Amino acid sequence: MKTSWLILPWNEWRRRPVRTGVTVMGVSLAVAALFSLVAFERGYRRGLQAELDRLGAHILVVPKGCPYDAASLALHGANWPCHLSADYLAEIRAVPGVKAAMPALMSALRDPAGQLVVYVGTDASLLGLRPQWRIRGRFPEHGAEILAGCELAHRYGWHVGDAVRLPGLTNVSATICGLLEVTHGAEDYFIHLPLAEAQRQFRRPNELTHVLVRLADPTRLDEMVRQLHGCGAGMNLNVVPLTHLFRTFQQLINSTRSLLACIVVVAGLVAVVGVANALLMAVGERTREIGVFRALGASRADIVRVVLAEAVMVCLAGAGVGIALAVAGARSLEVWLRTRLPLVPAGGFAAWDNYACGACVLGAVALGALAAWVPAWRACEVPPQAAMRGLGGGW
Amino acid sequence: MNPSPDQAVVAAEALTKVYRRAAEDVRALDGVSLTVRRGEFVAIVGPSGAGKTTLLNLLGCMDAPSSGRLWLEGREVQQLNERGRTHLRRERLGFVFQHFGLVPTLTVAENVALPLVFARRTADGRVSRLLEKVGLSSRRNHRPHELSGGEMQRVAIARALVNEPALLLADEPTGNLDSVTGEAVIALLRQLNAEGLTVVVVTHNPALAGAAGRQLRLADGRLAG
Repeated sequence: MKTSWLILPWNEWRRRPVRTGVTVMGVSLAVAALFSLVAFERGYRRGLQAELDRLGAHILVVPKGCPYDAASLALHGANWPCHLSADYLAEIRAVPGVKAAMPALMSALRDPAGQLVVYVGTDASLLGLRPQWRIRGRFPEHGAEILAGCELAHRYGWHVGDAVRLPGLTNVSATICGLLEVTHGAEDYFIHLPLAEAQRQFRRPNELTHVLVRLADPTRLDEMVRQLHGCGAGMNLNVVPLTHLFRTFQQLINSTRSLLACIVVVAGLVAVVGVANALLMAVGERTREIGVFRALGASRADIVRVVLAEAVMVCLAGAGVGIALAVAGARSLEVWLRTRLPLVPAGGFAAWDNYACGACVLGAVALGALAAWVPAWRACEVPPQAAMRGLGGGW
Repeated sequence: MNPSPDQAVVAAEALTKVYRRAAEDVRALDGVSLTVRRGEFVAIVGPSGAGKTTLLNLLGCMDAPSSGRLWLEGREVQQLNERGRTHLRRERLGFVFQHFGLVPTLTVAENVALPLVFARRTADGRVSRLLEKVGLSSRRNHRPHELSGGEMQRVAIARALVNEPALLLADEPTGNLDSVTGEAVIALLRQLNAEGLTVVVVTHNPALAGAAGRQLRLADGRLAG
């Protein structure tokens, strides 16, 4: 039988459960903040990228005004304050290098229960941009046909072939010719219908809200943006490359990220001080015991190792609790962030993340090592003769 | 004096220890010379403040003398650095403290195995054998607070023996015990000595001093006789 030296740090924390619990909680708050920051940072980036990728386009053409507001409307669905002339579509399609240009007229209405229903009038060119779509049934071809997102169909109990009243519209019926299977995006809640029918229902004849453009050669993005600006309709359009949009939104959330980073740093420093203080108290109370260890042959390195292990153990426990807290609170954090950020991806973005988990474990070990430095130095300075008479450490 | 360091477990020549207290030098030990031969049972006695514990600290390589020379099993201690003295304590010395010095969160068996942890050695049944020897086999999984004072001191003695030391140093081993349990500890020390272990105790207890084969009387930091 070989008794492991790890029983010494392990038992030390068990000796004072309340102090240990408080110290673990201090660490867990810092770790929860770190986990939330890293998971948010990565989840937001991933979610936004996925959302832009789902559009299947390289460029978004929107009416004059704030292009980022327009992008947010196009991604999540809403009523648009201004519109494009549908005549511009032909000019856009005529620009060399444009592989596909999908027109859209979007409008959002409330159903009798007060829930938002987003209608998108478009044409079959949309399918060229969304090869990942899986449709049960087919894309609408005639005026009285619609394609419903799966979540919306679930909400209303719709099936393919059903003749339904369109929510939010008065006395308008349509046949569900297709159901869009789960995309994990906002389109799960959309109703797609033919463009002409949408223009008629929403009294926007010959108008569009936006055009999604796919390029033949995405590496020529900057040149294509210049060309689109230079076309006949260019003066009336905002031409927004989605890669620029991605970078811009990343910059817009920098302030939120910086705020979270400050919280992480402060929480980390408080945790280091808390762990160091708990360890210093423990070392001070155990002066004679450490003297006994030294008398029994423990080297200075052995004492440092024990104190370091105490710190790392409590920090790892704090990491476990902190990660659990962060995951449990991710939903609330996300709800809070959604009210404060200019654009948030449709899916969850502050959820489990292996990278964040690894960062937290490494961070906790580093925090423990930092916190243990002074207590370990104090402990290894305890002379073996402290064992004899319980010399006071004086600290 | 010729300490004959090769034949003695402990040999000291003119050991002096001076502590600085405020602006004053306190001479805790003043030119102590002694020899403890293998298999001896020596009691160091004297009034409080005579320097007994200081002497024990020096013999146990826990403190360095201000002057003088000390040999343990022929090795001159002053020649050793901190690591060498730690190694000597771990491998060749056993300590018994008045306050027992048991770790309250460890079981009896874990307390006894503690020196092996620092020596990075396996117990190989030694812990069980020692617990049997001190009559505490049935208490191996108990914690110190579940033991009587006498039992705790027997655990401390078992712990002091687990590394098979050449010399057992005990500081007032019966100081915290009643007379009956104190007698049991004295009997155990005598038994260990009879089996060949060299024992040096510091004590105020006349019964323990009487059990030793030789008494060294300290007064004002000097050996009186």
